Amino acid sequence: MTTGTLIALDLVAAVLAAAGWLAAGGLSAGGHSARRLSARRRWLLLALAALALLAVVGRVVTTVALARAGWWFAAEKVVIAGPLSVAGAVVAVIFRRALAFLFAGFASAAGLLVTVLHGYPASVGTGLLAVAGVLGATAVASRFFGRSSERFSGRSSEHLSGRFSRQFSRQFSRLTSMAAVVALVAGAGFATRPGPSSRHEHAPLVAANVGEPTKRFTLTASIARDGAWAFNGQVPGPELAVTVGDVLEVTLRNKDISRGVTLHWHGYDVPNDQDGVPGVTQDAVMPGGEFVYRFRADQAGTYWYHTHSASDIGVRKGLYGVLVVRPTSITGVDVTVPVHTLGNVLLPSPTVGTVAPGTPVRLRLINTDSTTHRYAVTGGPFRVAAIDGRDLDDPSPVRDKALLLPAGGRYDVTLVAPAALHVDGRAVWSSSPSLSASPSPSWPVLDPLSYGAPSPVPWSRFDRSFTLVLDRGLDLRGLLPRYAHTVNGAADPDIPVQVVRRGEVVRFTIVNRSLVVHPWHLHGHHVLVLSRDGKAATGSPLWLDSFDVLPGEVWEVAFVADNPGMWANHCHNLPHADAGMMLHLAYAS
Amino acid sequence: MRRAFVITSTVLLVVFALQFVFAAVGAFTKPSGDGAYALHSLTGMALIPILCLLTTLFALLAKAPGNLVGLSLVPLGLTVLQALLAMLSRAFTDAAGASTTVSLVVGGLHAVNAIVAVHVVVAVATRARKLAQPVAA
Repeated sequence: MTTGTLIALDLVAAVLAAAGWLAAGGLSAGGHSARRLSARRRWLLLALAALALLAVVGRVVTTVALARAGWWFAAEKVVIAGPLSVAGAVVAVIFRRALAFLFAGFASAAGLLVTVLHGYPASVGTGLLAVAGVLGATAVASRFFGRSSERFSGRSSEHLSGRFSRQFSRQFSRLTSMAAVVALVAGAGFATRPGPSSRHEHAPLVAANVGEPTKRFTLTASIARDGAWAFNGQVPGPELAVTVGDVLEVTLRNKDISRGVTLHWHGYDVPNDQDGVPGVTQDAVMPGGEFVYRFRADQAGTYWYHTHSASDIGVRKGLYGVLVVRPTSITGVDVTVPVHTLGNVLLPSPTVGTVAPGTPVRLRLINTDSTTHRYAVTGGPFRVAAIDGRDLDDPSPVRDKALLLPAGGRYDVTLVAPAALHVDGRAVWSSSPSLSASPSPSWPVLDPLSYGAPSPVPWSRFDRSFTLVLDRGLDLRGLLPRYAHTVNGAADPDIPVQVVRRGEVVRFTIVNRSLVVHPWHLHGHHVLVLSRDGKAATGSPLWLDSFDVLPGEVWEVAFVADNPGMWANHCHNLPHADAGMMLHLAYAS
Repeated sequence: MRRAFVITSTVLLVVFALQFVFAAVGAFTKPSGDGAYALHSLTGMALIPILCLLTTLFALLAKAPGNLVGLSLVPLGLTVLQALLAMLSRAFTDAAGASTTVSLVVGGLHAVNAIVAVHVVVAVATRARKLAQPVAA
């Protein structure tokens, strides 16, 4: 079972526990007018309590399993949710009356809410607030049910009736209320302690003079007639095709995109002031404005460009295009396939070529969407020659396997015609009209971590290590509260900047605690994949700029800090980045 | 306070009904996407929880009987469950984000839970109205 499934099952168990206890509490409280619960109700009550107890035991199992997968996955469950729900279960089993069941329900529900609202890092503040919530709810409930509740064991509760019980109930309610208030105040105090400040203002380093441009392009962003946002009136924007050694000069103009436009060279590690991140490396280009990008294209490979201003809506509506840097000599056919979902139109529209059998073909697959796409090649074997613009060592021929490209990722696939390419089952390109084979959705997925010839990791030690724990959580620091996508429990702009020094070897450990995939993208650098879920990568060295961290996965990657500046480091599911999952990497001067 | 209880519980019922409309808006928005359900998510994760809490608060202030106060808390629990079901359904999709049997079953429970929640809100609103009626006649 994968850790991702465990995370989901743990939530299901938590829901069942809370629901079971609360329903048992409600049932036994609701029956207070009758002297005893009817036999049928007693059975139902027993079943609900048994279900809840089973769910609590189940959650203990999932918590232990998650702790074994990594402390990040289990911290708040071990420290807060576990003790709360076990205490609740113990009280419920011992006292077996409405208030006890309700207490167990509140405890389980609080544990669930902690996991869902602010799971990582587990903090004293969160724990105290959870305790305050449980005690407060119990105090309120005891005012109503404390007196009238009855043990369902069948024994008489005569001795607790009358004045004594009323007094006990009042005392109990008062005491728990006081404890709740103390926990609330202390918890709020811990929770609102100001965190480290995070400042992104920064004067981008000016790149060295790259020489006289050899290729010039102009991209003008405007709103097209059909509502799309387009560069030069077309989606995708013009393909910028250059040859290794070219000096590019791209003039960006904005006609009428009121949210502003920039150009980010996705995967091409340009100097910092060319990176196109508004507010960090430049100001967004507003309507009527202009910005000139200039950099040398030394690294052959498949890249793409897109706006980084209001990037979620901007890219979705069409402000993207292909940047391909080809070697000086190419043989055969070279096709770029930038996949995009533009409204309900799937791009590119299918192409049927007239490629002679035996011709070598290079398909440059680009995923410009915010979610993963599944690619499949039919007609013959193929090789994955490069990923994210970096060649793989000794890629072996593959057939009947699918490729999963993360958001923003690129694979270069080489093959010999005839062949056809399918994306999510849809035919996108074929070398000749006669091809009819379609891929099977049950094909296994090629794992790049074990593909190609390995080489030893070039570093023996790491100068600096960072851990990024990806999750969801309540973010109360902004003007309006939001359910943010978080990194280490914080959301942009409150995530502390990670600072490195030039020349250092930096290791990132990226942990996905959430229920959704996060395609991670560090600007300005390619990272070498060291391991996934503790298992070292055994294939060709993988230098990536975009990689999917699945729910429950732990990736270790490393890079050399060799490109000074302030760099965005974010989830490339752009709605997630918009909802907080964005931080910055800075170089200490 | 009894009037306030009636008003909040009725408003909650109306918002629940609207929530079904917003779900339909999401389902019929073309092109579909996460943005299609923005209104539905916002209502479900902000407006409804607040109204649920207000309803319980006014039930307490109106000195409603214990089991009615308890009942008024049920929609909040079901709303939290509802958000979780939506998240879990997404969690059970396959690697390329396409739905699977499990994700569809969990997604279906989202609808079942909605029906249950509406019934509970109807019960709360009805009993709130009864509570507000003068004892005479």
